[in-house]
Amino acid sequence: MGETIRLKGKFSKKLKNRRVRLLIHALSLIFAFLIQTSVFPLIPFLAESPNLLLVLTFSFGFLHGNLPGMLYGLFAGLLMDMFYSGPFGFYSFIFLLIGYFNGFFNRFYYEEYLTLPIFLCVFSELIYHIYIYTFRFLVRARLDLPYYFAHIIFPSTVFSLIVTVFLYRFFFSANRRMAD
Amino acid sequence: MENRKSKYVFIVLSVFCVMMIVLSSVKDGLMNPIRNTIGYVLVPLQEGVNRVGFGIYDQLRERKSLKEQEEQNKSLQEKIDVLTEENNVLKQNSEELKKLRELYSLDQNYLQYHKVAARVIAKDSENWFQVFRIDKGSRDGIRVDQNVMANGGLVGIVTDVGLNYATVRSIIDDESRVSCMGIQTSDNCIVAGDLKLYEEGRLRITNMKKDAVIQDGDRIVTSNISSKFMPGILVGYAIGIEEDEKRLMKNGYLIPAADFNDLSAVLVITDVKSDQFQTKDSSGAEPAALSETNPESSAGSSAAEGENVPVVEAGSLPESSSSEGSETSSGESAESSAPQ
Repeated sequence: MGETIRLKGKFSKKLKNRRVRLLIHALSLIFAFLIQTSVFPLIPFLAESPNLLLVLTFSFGFLHGNLPGMLYGLFAGLLMDMFYSGPFGFYSFIFLLIGYFNGFFNRFYYEEYLTLPIFLCVFSELIYHIYIYTFRFLVRARLDLPYYFAHIIFPSTVFSLIVTVFLYRFFFSANRRMAD
Repeated sequence: MENRKSKYVFIVLSVFCVMMIVLSSVKDGLMNPIRNTIGYVLVPLQEGVNRVGFGIYDQLRERKSLKEQEEQNKSLQEKIDVLTEENNVLKQNSEELKKLRELYSLDQNYLQYHKVAARVIAKDSENWFQVFRIDKGSRDGIRVDQNVMANGGLVGIVTDVGLNYATVRSIIDDESRVSCMGIQTSDNCIVAGDLKLYEEGRLRITNMKKDAVIQDGDRIVTSNISSKFMPGILVGYAIGIEEDEKRLMKNGYLIPAADFNDLSAVLVITDVKSDQFQTKDSSGAEPAALSETNPESSAGSSAAEGENVPVVEAGSLPESSSSEGSETSSGESAESSAPQ
């Protein structure tokens, strides 16, 4: 009897925890979006800014698996689609893809092991930029990929990498605290 | 098990996304209700974040050395003297121009467009696209295809409008094309944004006829044959005009008049070019279109009415023209109809 009550209590606590976690993730997504669109462009000496939404999406996939990563990516992409005119779903699709595929690396996830996240960050950034290049620039016969690589893709990747490294330190500690 | 489930979900969601892309490409404005709803929630947040950011940035900027400010003040004072004198001359000229225009009944008065000021609240942080968002929307009379100016030069065009926000594509965006002309000779050309040239602060000028006489340093303004841009807005200055290799066309570069690195406030021109076609094409829709573009009757609107009255008469509709005249009830329209 006492056993079941204790189990019930544990269950509801778990549910509540889950809800809080969901709320935190949703807030982090919106916060990142606001920072990326309304604060970074203001800073005059920052010619290129990190793609926070992308970093969050691939991290989420990597930390929590395919399904959550995919959903997180979908919502990040929807936010981007809300912001830009143009075909709706363009960003949703690529973010969905990135969230999903990074979820496969979830089984190799060890704390304090930074090599894999760095590799994934570079890989995701490249996929993301090549996607944009192919569908928005190549189709209009802009063929000079090396130039775009040197001036947009490479700086953006470096910035995102820096953010990733900092964020992972934070993520690890936050995750540990949430698990407790 | 878990893996297979997520695979199915992935496939379903991907198909959903691709379908959305196709659907929204085929039918414009399909997603506007959703965009509006989200914008309604997010835009105030963006504004708030933006204001905080600006506050901090302004405080930092205030610490700029006083000496620098004083020097600037001095040079500005000198500039004011020069400009005042210039202004006096220009005022005289403009009076003269006014009289001449009245004589020629030139009703298209450039640079008398109605404008609304707006703040830039968000920008694309990646360098692929040059789009930004302003804090005025359909509630403030902003509509798609309205032109946007800053620092006296053309900045871009509204591509997307929500209730309390609008998205603007800059002319430096890679996809932007503006039909322009030289101010001296009215030779037409296309000013195109180019991602590669943007870093040097330039745009590309193309499709200029070989015998066009646009030279380096000429002012380039929006053309009167453009379908989306109001005529006569300064875009920038031509530079490096040369014949292309095939000796068929002339190409060159353009230094924009507006400063794109420091855009915080812009002016949106509330007149839309396509309205002008409407007023000329269909006499039936005229009064509605007029009241839409010019809610308050000012000098500009009376000039526009003067333009429209003869068109109605040309359509041989005497009753409607008389009703039109009584509606506008301005001496100018009576005058312009009298000689015919």
